[in-house]
Amino acid sequence: MLIIDPSKCSGCRRCETQCSFYHSGKTGHFGARIKVEKIEIKGIDFPVVCHQCQEHYCTGCPQKAISITDRGSIEVSPTLCNLCGTCETLCPIGAIEIYNDIPYVCDLCGGTPRCVDACEMDAISYDPEIKQTLSLKSFKKQTKKMTPAMKRHKYANQATEKMRTDWLKDRRA
Amino acid sequence: MVHGYGGHILRVDLSSGRILREKTDPDFMLDVIGGRGLNSRRLYDELKRDIDPLSEENMLLIGVGPVTGSLFSTSAYMTISGKSPLTGILGDSAAGGFFGPEIKYAGYDQLIFTGRSDRLSYVYICDDHVEIRDAAHLKGQDIFQTTAIIRKELNDNNLQIAAIGPAGENLVRYAIVACNNSRVCGRTGMGCLFGSKNLKAVVVKGTGMVSVADPLTFMKLCKVMDNRIMTHPEFQDRHDMGSTLLMNALNGLGILPVNHFQRGVAPYVDKISGQTLAKQYKTKNKGCFNCNINCSRYYVTPAVESEGPEYETLCSFSSRIGNDNLEFALKMNHYLNRMGLDSLSAGETIGWAMECVERGIFNKDDFDGLEFTWGNRETIEKILQLIIRQEGIGADFAKGTRYLANKMGKGSETYALHVKGLDIICGDPRGIKAFGLTYAIASRGADHLRAEPFFELTNRFDEARKRFGTRDAADRLSDNGKAILVEYTERQALLTDCLTMCKNVGLSMDILDFEMAAALLTAGTGLKFAEERVNKALRKTITHDRLMNIDFGITAKDDTLPHRFTHEPLLEGASKNQVVPIHDMVEDYYKLKGWDKKGVPQKP
Repeated sequence: MLIIDPSKCSGCRRCETQCSFYHSGKTGHFGARIKVEKIEIKGIDFPVVCHQCQEHYCTGCPQKAISITDRGSIEVSPTLCNLCGTCETLCPIGAIEIYNDIPYVCDLCGGTPRCVDACEMDAISYDPEIKQTLSLKSFKKQTKKMTPAMKRHKYANQATEKMRTDWLKDRRA
Repeated sequence: MVHGYGGHILRVDLSSGRILREKTDPDFMLDVIGGRGLNSRRLYDELKRDIDPLSEENMLLIGVGPVTGSLFSTSAYMTISGKSPLTGILGDSAAGGFFGPEIKYAGYDQLIFTGRSDRLSYVYICDDHVEIRDAAHLKGQDIFQTTAIIRKELNDNNLQIAAIGPAGENLVRYAIVACNNSRVCGRTGMGCLFGSKNLKAVVVKGTGMVSVADPLTFMKLCKVMDNRIMTHPEFQDRHDMGSTLLMNALNGLGILPVNHFQRGVAPYVDKISGQTLAKQYKTKNKGCFNCNINCSRYYVTPAVESEGPEYETLCSFSSRIGNDNLEFALKMNHYLNRMGLDSLSAGETIGWAMECVERGIFNKDDFDGLEFTWGNRETIEKILQLIIRQEGIGADFAKGTRYLANKMGKGSETYALHVKGLDIICGDPRGIKAFGLTYAIASRGADHLRAEPFFELTNRFDEARKRFGTRDAADRLSDNGKAILVEYTERQALLTDCLTMCKNVGLSMDILDFEMAAALLTAGTGLKFAEERVNKALRKTITHDRLMNIDFGITAKDDTLPHRFTHEPLLEGASKNQVVPIHDMVEDYYKLKGWDKKGVPQKP
């Protein structure tokens, strides 16, 4: 899976830009499968991307359009998908989102994720051995009726709590 | 289909509420490129010259470049232009962050605001949807609160918001516009222009994408640019400290403004340097859109946490006004960003007052009882509050140093350090002669960003001979070869502004050349941007800007520097005994441009 270190992320969105360009030849926030959530007032920048969660909620797709590849990434069948949006609702962290009639989710660029290369801050790394180890069960409970963007915001806030505590301890001790 | 460009120009008339969406004309864009070039041309064509900058006839333009928001590194900027409320001449100010790219994703190349809303409003743009919304509830809110409230009421945390604070609402002439709290259009009072139009904020959301005409070539060119940046000798320092590296660097050159430019060396520089800031307060690097340097920094002090500061703010609120307390400067950075005040102009008014008191021209009774002694933190905080609220003596301070000194008189005008009404930046021109020329001729006043000739600081003597015909162009203390250097960097600066890319990268680090820009523009837009074509567009824009300024009343007399820099030699440090022979340098510059002795160009 892709491992994120928010204490290194500068929030520059190079990962988004490269992701979007690699997949479509165009650039834009919604064209990317990794989306940086920025909370300027707290100095938080957090790239939200599919964490290959233990629960793999998105495979609850009623059309059975979503499956898991050998790499642990999500694969959406374009012939089975009918854009019902269930996957968007099911994913606890907003890592899958429909844009221009396609569910956008990280496909690990076929094994060489472009975002890892794009990040000059080493905030994103890829470990192919780690698959489906992270549980999002407790987080999922807090995200009812949220849009993918709201879920990303909430997740970024929560995932950076320790970083913020360390900062304040370090700089205000 | 035109690639690269957003494809539309948006016109919002705040008086009538009329909203117009025009298609971007590719032939027109070939002539202006985009960004600041596009803004300047629009003003040249459409702005009535003899208006009061605060009247509803003034225009407020936000322009972005053709490859902004693309794969092109550091293409993060946008430029706001209009007739400046501070100087009364051409005003413009740029900021990075994410606002510029978002305008592109929404499908626009330029936003044009005219007229004046009858009540405080903000404009919300989401792709084709454009709405003027009531902002009564935002009245008096600072920029951080305004940003948070708008995001909450529109239920979207990813909105890009360019907002003004109380200073802008109260028409402080050097109020700023800040994008997402901390990327700031600081100079020439564009925040005041927002305020005069009753415009509290511009909110943008774009769900589109930027396409390029030839993705493969474009990607290869971007890789070349990335490589130039990553292998640049200044890369690491710029990454670690951003522009705050200049505190120590300029101190070493003897040109760090100390006590309002009375000295060029601060013995206490280590207490306020970029190194100290990075070591003691920085928590992590921050970056603008698609940047690979990430020179901005997030900092935490016992009192505040915020992004920044850049060198100009740090210096303006430390050595320039005799303050050696770094935490105080960091607190002021946070405060000014929240309230929406330009740190440079605010710092100059304070520095001027402190020098006048030291010289005995004025005393505390002239300043509502405030003690303007060097580094007096209580006074600094108090006067800033008065400026923002336009109360008491603050109402005069709020009109800028030129106005203030002219009004208070008694010879204090000599110590008002500005050119054409714009307060000077934190780089003493006596030890950097080409910068001196830049301040004197820059279209918006005493500012480096119209032609920052950083080249003269890089000791590249062979390159100087090759490019400018004399090794002296790379010798900061020589006044020889500086006109030709400035003529070059003026075009290079405009080019980075037209592409709305980062000027630190494109210009200071000398990453962007005309050939590369032409190739990028061609691959990006599909239009035929040959190198000569690009240069022609740049020269034409510079001439237009000058003609516009002449219409605004600028003459050759205004192309000069304050007395201090031309007549008082520096007393110590690595630039000891230096002054700027500005008259001859400006004459050289005119000659090179083909302008007459009065500094008037021929109409293009």
